[in-house]
Amino acid sequence: MDTKTQVKDVIIKLLKVKPEELKEDMTLEQSLGVDSTEMVEICIALQKEFGVKIQEKEVAKTHTLVEIANVIDRKR
Amino acid sequence: MNKNKIAIAISGIGIVAPCGLDKKVFWANIKAGRSAIKNIDRYDSSLYPSHIGGQVHELDAFSHVSSRLLQKIDPFSHMALIASEMALKDASIDLTQENLNRIGIFMGNALGGWLYGETELRDLYMEGREGVSPYMASAWFPAAPQGQVSIYYGIKGYSKTIVSDRASSLMAIGHAIRVLAKGKLDFVLAGGMEAPMSPYGLLCCNTSGQISKANVPSEEAYKPFDKKRDGFVVGEGAAIMILESPERAKKRNKEILGFITGYGTTCDGVDRIKANPDGHELARAIRMALEDAGLTYKDIDYISLDGAATLEGDVSEVRAIREVFKERATVIPASAPKTIFGNLLGASGAVDMVVALLVMQHSLVPPTLNLKDLDPECAGLNIVRDKAKEYEVKRSLVISRGRGGINAVLVMEKV
Repeated sequence: MDTKTQVKDVIIKLLKVKPEELKEDMTLEQSLGVDSTEMVEICIALQKEFGVKIQEKEVAKTHTLVEIANVIDRKR
Repeated sequence: MNKNKIAIAISGIGIVAPCGLDKKVFWANIKAGRSAIKNIDRYDSSLYPSHIGGQVHELDAFSHVSSRLLQKIDPFSHMALIASEMALKDASIDLTQENLNRIGIFMGNALGGWLYGETELRDLYMEGREGVSPYMASAWFPAAPQGQVSIYYGIKGYSKTIVSDRASSLMAIGHAIRVLAKGKLDFVLAGGMEAPMSPYGLLCCNTSGQISKANVPSEEAYKPFDKKRDGFVVGEGAAIMILESPERAKKRNKEILGFITGYGTTCDGVDRIKANPDGHELARAIRMALEDAGLTYKDIDYISLDGAATLEGDVSEVRAIREVFKERATVIPASAPKTIFGNLLGASGAVDMVVALLVMQHSLVPPTLNLKDLDPECAGLNIVRDKAKEYEVKRSLVISRGRGGINAVLVMEKV
């Protein structure tokens, strides 16, 4: 499984949303209306999933799936 | 007579209670006196001195709330959201046609949302700081349901949550009618919610020393005014009403369910838990509510009792009623319908108001269960026992009291 698909999996499971709701060409805020508190949860869940340390500023609700996957790939 | 008498219309009801999540089912169970007090079965509660209560089992079946939101809120907010949705529908309100800046939310709660709170605190100690949900901060506190209802509907008017132990929701409604009367809001969602069945919530109730330890049979434990009473039994749920001016309700051709016409509140000021046995301050709150409604003790046809089932609570309540209602105390039908579904603490007053509305609508007073051997200190009232009894009721008085001697009283009138 590539990083992008893995990130998507983490987010849809965490937020309990349908896979088709998370649009890959849109930011998390645009496609799911993710708020800042949900972003904190996503950040923690991604750290657990990938075993990397992610600073809060590195992944944001204004990022797309690809942008978040790139941040994680750079750290692995 | 009070020349400034103000009537506030109740135009919708939402009820989430152990004996029903729908006003028809709720009333059917109440008029039948069908007890909803059972063993608490969500976890092993057997080691608690009191492990019985009125639980709501069908929450998910009635829920319109997404799974995404549900994981961020405590059950007490969930109950408030369901009751609010029901009340808005019952009042035929289409929020797209309303000015959201002129809608208020007035809620009462005593304990806060402990299921969320205790789960996250456990995670804090087991997993450390990062194990705690960031929603903890906004999920547990007593005003959380007010916030969730506000966010869900985009309601932005003056709103408030009152925390006054078991008197919370009646006081919230009393506050709401004052604000409405000033004409600063178009309508209000008012009521209360409580979810005390979590392991820690139930522990707090147990250590208060005010709840019954007579667990078997569970249906017979809650017996206010009886010689063998040993405290009340807790229940969970929510009751929300839509309140607006009668003119506004009529203008939108909405049938009015009843009116709130008077409110009074006092404090005993004697003990951090117990009521003052003399009942004088409760009597003063009753007189205050009657005066506010422009009525006298001769005008009331039904008294909804607080029925704390504690020695000081029961004795002071009866003394207060005898003091105010004099010779009529023995005649006016009185009842504590909480004995059927449990004491919903901060939500109890709002639930009693819903019952009182249905009493006036159906001319039927529900029974106080389990009152077999009346405490002579509590004699002198016409407490309806065992079975519902027919009475023509035009004006009701609802009493709600909290620890530390908080007294709240509302007067309601039939349309």
